[in-house]
Amino acid sequence: MTFLKDLTIKKIHDGLVNKEFTAFELTKEFFDYIETKDKDVQAYLSLDKDGALAAAEAVDIAITKGEEIGMLAGVPMAIKDNLLVKGLPATAASKMLENYTAAYDATVIKKLKEAGAIFLGKANMDEFAMGSSTENSAFKATKNPHDLERVPGGSSGGSAAAVAAHMAVAALGTDTGGSIRQPASLCGVVGLKPTYGAVSRSGAIAMASSLDQIGPLTKTVEDAAIVFSVIKGKDPLDATSVDVVYGDELLNPKLEDIKKLRIGLPKEYFIEGMDDYTKGEINKAIEKIKSLGIEVKEISLPNTKHALSCYYIIMPAEVSSNMARFDGIRYSRLDALQENEPKTLLGIYHEQRGQGFGKEVRRRIMLGTYVLSSGYYDAYYAKAQKVRKLIKEDFDNAFKEVDVILTPVSPTAAFKIGEKTSDPLQMYLSDIFTLTLNLAGLPGISIPVKQYEGTSELPVGFQLVGKAFREADILGIGQFYERIR
Amino acid sequence: MTHITEETLEYLAKLARMDLADSEKAKLAGDLEEILNHFEELNEVDTTNVEPMTGGTAQRNVFREDEAETRKEMNGSADDIIAAFPSHERGYLKVPAVFGEQE
Repeated sequence: MTFLKDLTIKKIHDGLVNKEFTAFELTKEFFDYIETKDKDVQAYLSLDKDGALAAAEAVDIAITKGEEIGMLAGVPMAIKDNLLVKGLPATAASKMLENYTAAYDATVIKKLKEAGAIFLGKANMDEFAMGSSTENSAFKATKNPHDLERVPGGSSGGSAAAVAAHMAVAALGTDTGGSIRQPASLCGVVGLKPTYGAVSRSGAIAMASSLDQIGPLTKTVEDAAIVFSVIKGKDPLDATSVDVVYGDELLNPKLEDIKKLRIGLPKEYFIEGMDDYTKGEINKAIEKIKSLGIEVKEISLPNTKHALSCYYIIMPAEVSSNMARFDGIRYSRLDALQENEPKTLLGIYHEQRGQGFGKEVRRRIMLGTYVLSSGYYDAYYAKAQKVRKLIKEDFDNAFKEVDVILTPVSPTAAFKIGEKTSDPLQMYLSDIFTLTLNLAGLPGISIPVKQYEGTSELPVGFQLVGKAFREADILGIGQFYERIR
Repeated sequence: MTHITEETLEYLAKLARMDLADSEKAKLAGDLEEILNHFEELNEVDTTNVEPMTGGTAQRNVFREDEAETRKEMNGSADDIIAAFPSHERGYLKVPAVFGEQE
């Protein structure tokens, strides 16, 4: 356990290359630990011990043969259950896909497999990634490893909890409004949402296609940079993916370059919403960053207060379209209905969708259907698209003055299980500081203010926002922050 | 103030092809009303002459060659995809009758 606790991607790579342990031994160790630990945390929906051990053996054989291995070879990872890994279940934590097995690999999975990464299992999440606490999973609620009575955040709560509890060294999540960064903050790990288009979305079960991105959750910023460098890149299977050349600074940032970056603090993010504890922790992070010699100044993003409304129109509109493919015909069908099959196709749609989707998914489908319906489209959806443009322009203007923006990630630390489940608007406010980036398509990273494990304090992360395709800036500041925190 | 009536709810459920349970209708209507009323604050934003942002990307018209190809790069064959379908026969996907009563 102490051994697993200290592991990072870099340490695993060095340990494998120096033959301190084999990938097979390491993988086995993780499964032994998961067997006991996950009874409490409940981070995984399914495990793939046989597949993982076989993949680990292949890495060991390559090492024995003297072949050069990549940084991710033999690295045990958890994969959010809305990402397709061929031959493994991909339920997106929904009854709708309870019996579905992925028929192909997501592009990110294909890239990780080629890099030799080991997939331990599929991580729990809010159903179809809709939620901020992982309580919307149709199968179970994941607990926060720092306090089992609290939520891990969401929707990538299983991924964040698995890394925080040392049941994986790294994980993949998806982020539509904060679903990587918010659970990372609440669980005390690092979470990166890349620029829209930096990572292929092929093989991710789509929630809101103009907002979704796949990204890593890791223990260190350096590890996040390593995973990102492997999964990024243009892909013919995702027409929105972009070919961008990232320089050497992505993995090897230099302090002299980092010091030249100017950081903006948007005053609208510090006025209200945050509780005192979170505010205190964020201020500590700001002081530490200043001590690196980086210039920090106040800026303004005036349309911030409209972002929540804008997001909660656009996202459900896209959700209602994307969820249309789940008709009880194409992917899997609920067993209960096969016995007593309705007579027409239309009847099957109604019954399967009525029984297969959970409460939050149904709420968003109804909301999205409403804002797109005849007579309301202009008042809601068209208006929201214009406000989205204004929010984007706020960032464009701010980035003329500064290179990076620093904000809180979540208004509070991890809340109690059940605390916000009955009031959707309260739950939606969990994403108030993160969803603006998805609207604007910008990269953001959540970094723990300090090391929280072993203290009685709840983790708090701060967010660094970069210019489009400038992940290197936020990862670079983060890597130097980590060395002094 | 937006009011979501039972008729509106049923109309939306029909558009969404999704049965609603009677027991959930009141709570669902209340939630939708609260959320929709929150959106009214957008009326104070002046969006005259603002071009809508219609997606997440600045890219347009991404083309590929119009050629048939086997999806090798997808790592999934047609057989795998058909196998994932709940009901199939000789490579065809089976669905229930589209119109009227099944004989």
